[in-house]
Amino acid sequence: MFLSKIWFILVAMLAGVAFSVALTAPRPMAQKLEELEGQRLDRAQYAAEQMLKVDAHKWIDRVANLGRDAVISEGLDSASKGSGELSVQHKTLQARLRALLPDLGGAGISTIAAIDGNGRAVARVGDDEKDYGDSIGGAEVISDALRGYLSDDVWGTGGHLSRVAAAPVLSKSRDRVVGALYVAAETGAQFADRLKKNLDVDVALLLMGKVVASTVDSNILSNLPELVSQHRAEIDEMKRTPALSIDVGDETYLAVAAPFPGQAGEQQGYYVLVGKKPAKADLGSVLANTTARDLKWGSFPWLPLVGSLLALMAIGLLLQRFEVESPMARLRTELRRLSRGEIGKLDDHRFGGHFGGIARDVNSALEHVGLQGSAPIGLATGMPGAAGALGIAGDAPMPGSAFADTGFGAGSAGGMVPPPPPGFAPPPAAGFVPPPPPGFPTTGGARPGSRAPAFPQAPGMSPSVPTFPSTPPLPGAAFGAPGSAAAADGDDEEQHVQTVYDEFIALKQQCGESVAGLTMDKFRLRLQENRNSLMARHACRTVRFSVYVKDGKASLRATPVK
Amino acid sequence: MTTPRTFRTLASALVLLSLGLGPVAVAGNVKGTVRLPEALRAGRQHQGYWRLENGNVPVRSAPSKSQSVVVLDGISGTHPPPAKTVTVEISGLDAQPRVVVIGPGSVVEFKNVGKVTHELSTPANTTLMPIERLNPGTFRHQKFGAPGGYVVRCSQYPHLAISVLVVESPFFAMPDEKGAFSIPGAPDTKAKLKVWSQGRWVHEQDIDASSKQDLTIRVAAPKNAKESESKEADSKDSDSSISGADSKASAE
Repeated sequence: MFLSKIWFILVAMLAGVAFSVALTAPRPMAQKLEELEGQRLDRAQYAAEQMLKVDAHKWIDRVANLGRDAVISEGLDSASKGSGELSVQHKTLQARLRALLPDLGGAGISTIAAIDGNGRAVARVGDDEKDYGDSIGGAEVISDALRGYLSDDVWGTGGHLSRVAAAPVLSKSRDRVVGALYVAAETGAQFADRLKKNLDVDVALLLMGKVVASTVDSNILSNLPELVSQHRAEIDEMKRTPALSIDVGDETYLAVAAPFPGQAGEQQGYYVLVGKKPAKADLGSVLANTTARDLKWGSFPWLPLVGSLLALMAIGLLLQRFEVESPMARLRTELRRLSRGEIGKLDDHRFGGHFGGIARDVNSALEHVGLQGSAPIGLATGMPGAAGALGIAGDAPMPGSAFADTGFGAGSAGGMVPPPPPGFAPPPAAGFVPPPPPGFPTTGGARPGSRAPAFPQAPGMSPSVPTFPSTPPLPGAAFGAPGSAAAADGDDEEQHVQTVYDEFIALKQQCGESVAGLTMDKFRLRLQENRNSLMARHACRTVRFSVYVKDGKASLRATPVK
Repeated sequence: MTTPRTFRTLASALVLLSLGLGPVAVAGNVKGTVRLPEALRAGRQHQGYWRLENGNVPVRSAPSKSQSVVVLDGISGTHPPPAKTVTVEISGLDAQPRVVVIGPGSVVEFKNVGKVTHELSTPANTTLMPIERLNPGTFRHQKFGAPGGYVVRCSQYPHLAISVLVVESPFFAMPDEKGAFSIPGAPDTKAKLKVWSQGRWVHEQDIDASSKQDLTIRVAAPKNAKESESKEADSKDSDSSISGADSKASAE
């Protein structure tokens, strides 16, 4: 069973490894997916930054082109010089701006304003378009434009974000700055939607610790401003945060925040890109996320899995058959043969491992019983089927306890005790009755010197227990001389068996034992089996049985006859 | 006996006078030029993505005169400027003046004469001046007791920042547009020269005012200028000694 054990260990180790892999494999995969999602957000943030940059340039170009308009240039020049009515200049410029930009909303513009050289807003279109004459020249982007720069900025005023671009307006002779135009672009929900559409990630816009626009559920964003503010140092240094985890119920999201440029950056103005974190890595989550598609033939390696399992089982069963079942069947066969007396002992060399050990143990037991001498034969060895052979177990003393050998090893394992030399008369066991003297009448003409059955007084038996000294001579020929043809005679054997049976029954009754179920046929069969076994083991001519009392019970003793 | 005692008294008085009041008594001008880096000369703190020249008309330089202050500090025996009230008018998304140099205990009156509501505070020290709405036509008084540099900023328009320098030394000057400055009446002694620009101390160096040389103060480009101003202002509430310039300078 060595190979079976090794195979079992290998299969157990394989199962352990497979289980460990099943538990651990999703974890690095989830980490990798999280890393990839983080990288995706990083790329999206870079793309968003480029988009904002391109947008800013686009707005700058737009106001610069508008500033080349002659009406605007003249109007601002006039306003800067203080000549003319401001209200008239306001109406003129406002009308011109409306004519140039008929669809502000479609262009994504919330406000466009014309500023004179003194920083006064002469005309606005869009938000606060009725206001004019106020100075806004202190704003950096406008101050820059009045100095001659084209630039952009992001404002965060009134809880709204605005991307602003401004450009100088030159005089008709293009030799001086007469004013500026600035445009404020919508930077709210529409902008967030556009970012999401272009970047394929959710977007949230933060200003002063509040969410001003987003494409995701507000539940996800409740802690986002605080989370981002905790990473201000990283934002100042790297202009963005690493991927931040946001736990919302069972879901986890990743967010990358980056500051808006300009003044909004001072006002905690951030755009945050939000992606969903991949599923958790534990086995339950992996199984919960498994779909029918994952288990289809094309997706799941059913054939290799089933093939491997079948191969594992086949190898295991093969080893089991080779190392267990087959030797066991052979051992049973041998034991049956042994019980039938066909063999004297088990050939333990035919069996390996534990079965060889069992065979050797059986042989040792047989030998031990044989050496004990008075130990019961046959059934006492525990050979399979022995008890059932006589059929008296249960309602009668175990046959094994009733039978005894002849005292010189007849009942021992075959071959373990050498048969006595020709003419050797083994010393009788306790209670052994010497053979009758020469001339003792024997059936079948026993030769002088041959041992006759005797029924001695059992040791320790009470005197009231009768012995059978007067028992008529048994078919003494059977005990008799070697070469006596009469000893093998069937009638003699039958007579001997009948005699022994009668004596055995009588003795059992005297001992107070039950004889129910102990029929002649069973008794005969049992004696025949024992006789055959002993004859095969000791190469004797026949076996004779005698009856005696042992430990207060009727017993039989077998004596090989050479 | 009387003559020697009188002589000793007079001699002691002269020695004390020479030690304690001598440097102050001998006064002169400390002058020089402050060379600011481009980042500080640009006249713009909050940059967008683009800042392009128009290509037709030369770009005018930023009005930097009122943005920088040179202060001589660490001179013993001097008295701080007297406490007073200074008014800062806010209009057109701008403030005038943008820098206020005052003595301890002075009051600054922030007056909104424009059409836009502002929300002023000292972000680095909100307990000193918490955020408060300043509607058009209203004003707000704020007393500054401890020496140091403070930045009062509008949360709605962060470019609108007013620097308030509370100094213990009466020797300070605001460089002109070319960076030239002159501090008259400075004592001929060693002192610490500090430069404030764009809402923070940007330079600090020891000088010897008695050398009578023109100083050229080269200010290095700032690092993380946005936050440093706040940290410095915090420290000055409890410590009157001003430090923290992260740039190197050369005196000529």
